[in-house]
Amino acid sequence: MNPRNTFTAICAAALLALSQTSALAFQESPLLSADVESGKLPSLENRLPAYPRVVETETIGQYGGDLRIAMARSRDTRLMTVYGYSRLVGYDRAYNLVPDILESFESENDKVFTLTLREGHKWSDGHPFTTEDFRYWWEDVANNPDLAPLGPPVLLKVDGEPAKVEILDERNIRFSWSKPNPFFLPAMAGPRPPFIFRPAHYLKQFHGAYADPAALEEKVKNRRMRNWAALHNSQDNLYDMDNPYLPTLQPWFNTIRPPAQQFVFVRNPFFHRVDSAGNQLPYIDRVLMNISDGKLIPAKAAAGEIDLQARSLFMSHFTFLKQAEKREDFKTKLWETAQGSRIALFPNMNVADPVWRELFRTKDFRHALSLAIDREEINEVIYFGLAKPSNNTVLELSPLFKETFRDKWATLDLDRANALLDGLGLTERDGDDVRLLPDGRRMEIVIETAGEETEQTDVLELVHDTWLEIGIKVFTRPSQREVFRNRVFSGATQMGVASGVNNGIVTPSMSPAEFVPTDQIQYQWPKWGQFYQTDGKAGEQIGLPAAQELFNLFKLWQTTDTPAARAEIWEQILEINAEETFTIGIVCCTRQPVIVADALENVPEEAIYSWDPGAHFGVYLPDTFYFADPARR
Amino acid sequence: MLRYIAHRLLLMIPTLLAVSAIVFIIIQLPPGDYLETLIAEMQSRGEAVDQNQIAALREAYGLDKSPVEQYFSWLFGLLQGDFGWSFEHNRPVSELIGQRILLTFVVTFSTILFIWVVSFAIGTYVATRQYSVSDHVATLIGYLGLATPNFLLALVLMYFANQWFDISIGGIMDDEYRNQPWSFAKIGSVLEHLWIPVIVIGTSGTAGMIRRLRANLLDELQKQYVVTGRAKGLHPRKLLWKYPLRVALNPFIADIGSILPEVISGSAVVAVVLNLDITGRMLLDALRAQDMFLAGSFLMFLAMLVVIGTLLSDLALAALDPRIRLSGGTTR
Repeated sequence: MNPRNTFTAICAAALLALSQTSALAFQESPLLSADVESGKLPSLENRLPAYPRVVETETIGQYGGDLRIAMARSRDTRLMTVYGYSRLVGYDRAYNLVPDILESFESENDKVFTLTLREGHKWSDGHPFTTEDFRYWWEDVANNPDLAPLGPPVLLKVDGEPAKVEILDERNIRFSWSKPNPFFLPAMAGPRPPFIFRPAHYLKQFHGAYADPAALEEKVKNRRMRNWAALHNSQDNLYDMDNPYLPTLQPWFNTIRPPAQQFVFVRNPFFHRVDSAGNQLPYIDRVLMNISDGKLIPAKAAAGEIDLQARSLFMSHFTFLKQAEKREDFKTKLWETAQGSRIALFPNMNVADPVWRELFRTKDFRHALSLAIDREEINEVIYFGLAKPSNNTVLELSPLFKETFRDKWATLDLDRANALLDGLGLTERDGDDVRLLPDGRRMEIVIETAGEETEQTDVLELVHDTWLEIGIKVFTRPSQREVFRNRVFSGATQMGVASGVNNGIVTPSMSPAEFVPTDQIQYQWPKWGQFYQTDGKAGEQIGLPAAQELFNLFKLWQTTDTPAARAEIWEQILEINAEETFTIGIVCCTRQPVIVADALENVPEEAIYSWDPGAHFGVYLPDTFYFADPARR
Repeated sequence: MLRYIAHRLLLMIPTLLAVSAIVFIIIQLPPGDYLETLIAEMQSRGEAVDQNQIAALREAYGLDKSPVEQYFSWLFGLLQGDFGWSFEHNRPVSELIGQRILLTFVVTFSTILFIWVVSFAIGTYVATRQYSVSDHVATLIGYLGLATPNFLLALVLMYFANQWFDISIGGIMDDEYRNQPWSFAKIGSVLEHLWIPVIVIGTSGTAGMIRRLRANLLDELQKQYVVTGRAKGLHPRKLLWKYPLRVALNPFIADIGSILPEVISGSAVVAVVLNLDITGRMLLDALRAQDMFLAGSFLMFLAMLVVIGTLLSDLALAALDPRIRLSGGTTR
């Protein structure tokens, strides 16, 4: 979208918000009123910013209740930062960027960003949140060689040029570059935002430049840290929510130090959002996060022990959950997902074996593999017919979608696949009718999985059958996520299976990086991705003209700033991906089961469950969810 | 007797040393170290990792030293009561294992008690009724107990406990008690949940124990003194209780040494399936993440438990079984 348009839209929205809030009388949770009366908390007017963010909710809620959720690991406390979705700027439900923590923001051609904070905004411990917190992060954290040996994060650099940061006053700060940085704002709205501010008043006690040396030395020794930097870093995890003493801006904050079996998140009395009737959010008093083995979570959900859950629930649990609905007070909803592919194959074009590397880099070979997959059958057998056969590309919900992107080279045609392979000179076959490689070995592909979902191995069984018909034998090798990744990265893996691109609902202003060799995590070209990530220090230069072209288009996209030009580049990128079949998408558009307690209100019926953009529940603002019967909770 | 105890205690030192060495070697066996796990995680979050930083971290964690050096620094720490540092949780190991060890004790002892009570009742019953219908039924059930995988039994019991008794899925207590101080209600909740892991972990041990008790008792019952007693008209119950049963009970004590490791390793699997807050789960996670000091200290703790348990069972056996004489046996 046009940044100018965005800007005017945002100004209008901000003005609207201002005019609304001035007329509102604010209310708070009865729990907090009690604390105000006893003098433990300042009054609501002194806790809210002068102009809080007003959130339109479907219905006005009531205060109270405990929301029970479940996570698989102690470290998943960070998911509350994802769900809380308190961001400088965040997406609304239509995926437009709107100010959240910020009162407003201004972008000049994606080169100069001016951010304005809300007057009177406070951290969860009541200390004012000001540009000093940004300055502290930029000068004393990101640019401190002890705390950040690598310097500021990549996001704050454009072609190696670090941001120019100007503190205009207590509420205004400016980040600027000489070239456009189109990633800056979308990253702030991400599920894991780069926190470009830190609670300076709290962290200074751990900082070598601020703290009293003797006291700091004492703390370092008591916590048995190596030095003050390690101590500072261990206390400073705004994302992880693992330090109960670290002030935050999220709707709920953690009160339990990990590891634990249950984490209790309580409401932030200084939270900056109110509903349209002026009630300070969140509605729900506490969030109880129970840690259970991932495989037990569906059972716990079915036993009615969870109020809201999507993580660790899969399509294979759907019938089980539906059955349990009859006994317990919850409903199972099916939300759409944003992944470009539920399941896709990744021929490793950086595999160590030279013969296979050559084959995987051959377009006709990849086409033959893709043509020899019966996607309809897989959809019927494994996904109850609820998915859609598709390449690994953008979804219909995206304005960039075209049918050819979805269907090109993705329909079953064994004759054509066989002809393509014959055309490559791979005509020799052995007694089992398996083709032979040019060097005489049998054409056997080992497909490795991260070993977490049996769904993948089930799909591979079906792929095995049709690929055998074109003379290719498949073996499946379940592994473990870390091992799997490392084997792909090092070129030990021939082919991997995983889900496709994370964001299939892209708009032209979102980055096309997922479709371009930019990241090691892209299993089809890990070393080319690593090359870009490490500025050429590791990995390999792109060795395929079509992939190089993608990369050039990506660079071009970064420096273009009109929506039309960006859309055009996107189209070319998607077209090359469809034509080249770098990854072999199988099905897309599966649904995510989400269980919601009957009494829980304001949770959308139909929604999109997506990591980025969307932050899972985050974009639907769980602070606006409430219980219809809080007294019983 | 004192000499014997002193001798045994001295023997524990080389045993534990050997265990510590083996534990350390096994933990080091898989390729890579904790940093590899950390790096993989940072990469999965999209953070760039650079080689200098990795080298710095490796030095900071002491992972750049040779395994032998690492082993000795860990060992000396252990001797001074310092269990080392958990990389993953970023806290001293001793802070992490305290409460878990307590619950592990509770589960282990309840399980052994369960094994004793059940196998004593059934074992005596079937031995006195050899080849009767009840003997065959008990034998069949015993074999089923031995053969059923623990994790399966755990899942099935958990499901029915939830359906029939409304006991929450997984965990050693209801969720609401998890962060509360100990109270009678909390203990009650623990007891309510405890029976599933106890049955699951105990079944295979019970089955084995029944067989042993049955075999021992059958042996005794055929001995001449029993025949003589019976011929002289001794009441059958007295005939059974006075000597044969007491002799046959020896394995109850003697087998603690072998049951303990079985129970503890069995509890690891069950703890994962049932989501119990005992050592097993954390141990597994530590091993997966190659959090070596946490895993190593855990294993040492369990080894210590087994060694002491064995010693106690030997001492108890010596005290209870008049046939055992210490004078001849210690030179072995």
